[in-house]
Amino acid sequence: MAETHDDNPALFEEDDHRAVYIFAPAGHNSSPLQEKARPVKRRRVSSKRASAAAEVAADAEGETQSTTTAAAFPRLFGGEESAEAAGLRRQVFDTAWPVLDWRIKNVLREANRTTLENVSSFIRDAEGDATRGTRIPAGFIITGPNIVSQDLLFEQLSEALGKATQARFVRLRAAGAPNLKAALKKVIRDATAQVSLDGGGDGDEDAEVAFGRDGRKYLDYDLEGLHAFLGAQQDSSRRVIVAFEDSEAFESSLLTDLLALFHSWQGRIQFSVLFGIATSVELFQARLLKSTARQLFGAKFDVVQADLVLDNVFKSAIAGTQATLRLGPTLLRRLLDRQRDQVAGIRVFISSIKYAYMCHFYANPLSVLLADEKSLTRQLLQPEHIQAVRTLDSFKAHVEAAVDARQLNHAQSLVEDDSYLVKQMVEQRQKKQDYLMQLLRSLHLLTSMDLVPGRFTDLYVAALAGGLDLTPTIDAIKRLGADDVPALINRLLTAIQTGSPDLDLPGWEDEAEELISSLSEIRDEIEALAEQAREKGQQALKSKFTAQSKVLRTTVVAQKVQLSQDTAKLTDEDKAFGKAIDSLVDLFTHNIYSDPIDSLFLHEAWAYDAEAPYRDVFVPRPGTTFERALTRPHGYLGCECCSKAAGTLSATLPTTCILYQLYLETGSLVNAADLWSAYYALVGEESDAGLGLGEREALGRFYRGLAELRLMGFVKQSKKKADHVAKVKWLL
Amino acid sequence: MGDSLFQLPDELLFTTLSQTFPCRDAQIRAVATLLHPHAAPCQNLVIHGTEATGKSAITAALLQALQQDTEKNEPLLRYVIISSIECITARHIYESTIAKVAEALQWQGAATRCDSVSQMLVELSKMLKYPSYPANFRFVLVFDGIDRQREAPITLLPALARLSEIIPRITSVFIVTSPPASFLRTSFVPCIEFPNYTKNEFVTILNTTSLPTAPLPTTTIQETTELWNRFTGAIHDALARAASRTLPSLQHACTSLWPRFTAPILAGTHAPREFSKLMVAARVHFQDESLLDPGIVAIRSYSSSSTTTQAQTKDNTAALPSAPPSQANTPRKAQSTTTTPSKPKSTANLFVSATTTDLSTLLPPTARLLLLASYLASHNPTRHDLVLFSTFHHGRRRRRGGLSVGMGRGGHRGAQSKHRKIARKLLGAHAFVLERMLAIFTAVRGEWDPKWLDKDSSSREMDADIEMAIATLASLRLLVRVGGAGAGGVAGDQMDRGGKWRCNVGWEVVRGLGRSMGVEVEEWLVE
Repeated sequence: MAETHDDNPALFEEDDHRAVYIFAPAGHNSSPLQEKARPVKRRRVSSKRASAAAEVAADAEGETQSTTTAAAFPRLFGGEESAEAAGLRRQVFDTAWPVLDWRIKNVLREANRTTLENVSSFIRDAEGDATRGTRIPAGFIITGPNIVSQDLLFEQLSEALGKATQARFVRLRAAGAPNLKAALKKVIRDATAQVSLDGGGDGDEDAEVAFGRDGRKYLDYDLEGLHAFLGAQQDSSRRVIVAFEDSEAFESSLLTDLLALFHSWQGRIQFSVLFGIATSVELFQARLLKSTARQLFGAKFDVVQADLVLDNVFKSAIAGTQATLRLGPTLLRRLLDRQRDQVAGIRVFISSIKYAYMCHFYANPLSVLLADEKSLTRQLLQPEHIQAVRTLDSFKAHVEAAVDARQLNHAQSLVEDDSYLVKQMVEQRQKKQDYLMQLLRSLHLLTSMDLVPGRFTDLYVAALAGGLDLTPTIDAIKRLGADDVPALINRLLTAIQTGSPDLDLPGWEDEAEELISSLSEIRDEIEALAEQAREKGQQALKSKFTAQSKVLRTTVVAQKVQLSQDTAKLTDEDKAFGKAIDSLVDLFTHNIYSDPIDSLFLHEAWAYDAEAPYRDVFVPRPGTTFERALTRPHGYLGCECCSKAAGTLSATLPTTCILYQLYLETGSLVNAADLWSAYYALVGEESDAGLGLGEREALGRFYRGLAELRLMGFVKQSKKKADHVAKVKWLL
Repeated sequence: MGDSLFQLPDELLFTTLSQTFPCRDAQIRAVATLLHPHAAPCQNLVIHGTEATGKSAITAALLQALQQDTEKNEPLLRYVIISSIECITARHIYESTIAKVAEALQWQGAATRCDSVSQMLVELSKMLKYPSYPANFRFVLVFDGIDRQREAPITLLPALARLSEIIPRITSVFIVTSPPASFLRTSFVPCIEFPNYTKNEFVTILNTTSLPTAPLPTTTIQETTELWNRFTGAIHDALARAASRTLPSLQHACTSLWPRFTAPILAGTHAPREFSKLMVAARVHFQDESLLDPGIVAIRSYSSSSTTTQAQTKDNTAALPSAPPSQANTPRKAQSTTTTPSKPKSTANLFVSATTTDLSTLLPPTARLLLLASYLASHNPTRHDLVLFSTFHHGRRRRRGGLSVGMGRGGHRGAQSKHRKIARKLLGAHAFVLERMLAIFTAVRGEWDPKWLDKDSSSREMDADIEMAIATLASLRLLVRVGGAGAGGVAGDQMDRGGKWRCNVGWEVVRGLGRSMGVEVEEWLVE
């Protein structure tokens, strides 16, 4: 395959990786640069090689682009940006992302820890379990529908189990093991290869795999070979763990065969199996034969819910203080929605974050402002940067606010004085820090109050979009009893002390002395009040919010029911309690607040909220793209002739586009002869506006166009009627 | 050796064997007679019988004993056992036969490659026919489960049966489940049947093999044994006749029921002699389905079972602080089996509900919608699509499914029901074209997903997320592709809109899924 691709360089142009480009067929292209650049071979590369291939691709790109700088980021401002600024953007990205990447990986690894421990101990203990009999120990790991994202889990499992039980670990995927032979081959190959990895002497052991001890050669799907190999290894445990990563995707007959085989080898080779189960154990069991089910000695393990993992990743990578770039509320909402509504694993979420970082630093010249003090010098800021800042929406809003506040000098200098503006921009960095701290501390306090149910992610996104909404919390506080309030305050105090390790937020005791002292005051006051009330024999403190001011009383006097309204009396303590609550609420409204993110001047430099690039990359819509290309090809071809014919027929359109237009008008079965005559009428010699094509050439083009339509999945051959093609695609 | 013409093996051999394998005396003797070199060695022998009747185990043990028994000065009997389960291909069985024979004879330099029966015969002749062996030397080839051999050519069995015609020293033993008439294509093959055990035999075996070793507290060992005897008999009557006919499953039932059965004795409410009272008390436990079908999750099945295994359970859960679902299930299951025992069905219901909630919480909404749409596509005939899903006139669907109601009023119902007696949802799922399912999906999505209509039109098109959801459902086998290659000779891509698919989930699951999204799927099905 690769050779044929090589022979045909027109198949892969270096334009392939670009989102938008004007198509220029190879024949039309006379640029020597492009011909020199050899197309990169398309081949399946393992993950290790992928990075290398990416470098090769980058090199190829470097050859063709004359404007490349040392940094791979292009200069912006129409090429006016200095190379240093572009390099700095690259540098900021290169330092910002790995921090997050490391944190995310940590979170993910940590999330699987308990599952790992449980599985290892199960596999270890199953060996000695008397009730097991000859059954195969089987761990069912409920992973959720996104099997791909469990790659990490199985990787960790193979590490942990290899260590814990000295077993060979084999991972099977349905795609790699279509039948019994292939599955066994993989099991044997992997089980024997692992030793040579950690054993050391590779060459000799490989020979032993093939020949065993007595020089006998084994078929590569013969477990006898594995047995002989394990015997030759002096491996007393002879354990092999086979993990079926996507067990639903395996044929049930294949599973049955494999399990029966493993079972019959039990005693000579200690097989254990692990199943990654996406749906439920019951559904899985329903697919197995009962006799197979009886050979399994199973236990069920749960992986941490995807929601929880998402929350943790969100906290550390998006909300946490370590995040250099803030993602805006629109994008975040969309990302979160996608996680909830679609089959998109946590991996997709992470790559979306990375993509947002890449887009921001690649395409936003103001992202240099995120660089640290040292590297961001005054010389680096070009007039274009200043100009760009002045076009920002947030700049306009800021100036207008200054005018409204009668700070006319400030506003004027902002608009006219470059150095003043630069000073303001530098100051803005501190303001941004303050804003983020305030936001995170407020959120942390809110979540540690634990009064209003709600996920941190939703709270964070809402706070970014429209500021913090305290109303539900305040309502909840007002309903609290006298015993709960001190507990609440204690929770808050500890929250202030410890901060939040998830968010990487240190405690801020020193900065919040005032808040702490007022909180403790209120707490002491309420406790004293409660004590007083108890001494007086009052049941519990009531505030004006909790106590219903009017109580309907029912009295039965001489078998008659009397209804009377009674105003509940609030004692002095109750009133004082009400006041304390009031002051507490006051305290909260002054200390827990946050503005929407777009109210800040210069937020464009450190917040990214564009949804479209993300959607185009992660949720492509091939149907719409095809449709657009076929109805308005001039947008892609850049030719003059077709631009008038938007959505209508024109002879100058490419054949496929004409056929597509005709195709849209047909019913479910298309007569090929009719299609041809309609096409020929348009482009043939007798047509008015036509190109005057000869019949042979027109027919050639027609065939090609129809074949292309078939390739794109619009039509297919029909058995219903001779000489007809069936229309396949109705929706986009 | 001054041996007579016919001489049975030592009686001691039979005694030891029948202690290990009780109630199989006749079969052991018959097989021994037909295999022993001094008795009546035959050329081929078919041993057949159902699962778990001791065919393989007895053959292996007997041959082992015979080999030792006849081993005087020189070898008189050698054997190999080739298990067909372990042989993946026909070539595999030939090669492992040769390798094992060479090993049994300590033969050096056997061929490693063997593609066909004739080649195997040549190799076997080299080892068995030409070299000199003592008179009466027999070599027994046991083909265990040969009827289950994968990729077996049709000539395999007849060819194996003819091995002994060329090499007279060979006896081929075929262990099969039930031999078809003259399946070896050769005349006169002795067959020995290993029938399933009778009630008395079952009870005897259970008494000798799996008698509880420790006596119950507050009772003597004799009382315990007696109780066990009557208990196994009762279990056999209750379960074996109808459902669990094999020895292992009966054994499993006994051992898992025993603690529950004896719980009243431990609690002190009944004496071990009051068997009928114990039976009445334990009647509910006999209805527990997990006795017959233990399922694959063993750890959970302990925890639901009983009080004395509770210690075990604790061990397990202590070793495994994991399995939160199993622990979460424990109280509910325990309740349903012990405290509210009058409802044996509740366990089954629990299972169903657990399954459905599982699926509906596991799958994201888009995937659930797609699954529902494909269920509709699988179970509604195409001609009703326009009626059910058309939004052409009012922007909303004109009529909700349940056409039968409308027809009933019109008086056509009789004719209809004559036509189709079985409810459609009870019939299997039909295949549908992917494009049709997607059309149904877009039609119902607006109605079932309230958020959908709020979105702007650009984000309401088919996007990659939907295709990802389809691919996921396909990889979970909830949607199944029918017919590998697409029509027209083009190898079908999974995303080919013309491809045919089938919904692979049942009505119960779909109803649960629908309810989890606030949809009554029944209303959308045409009866």
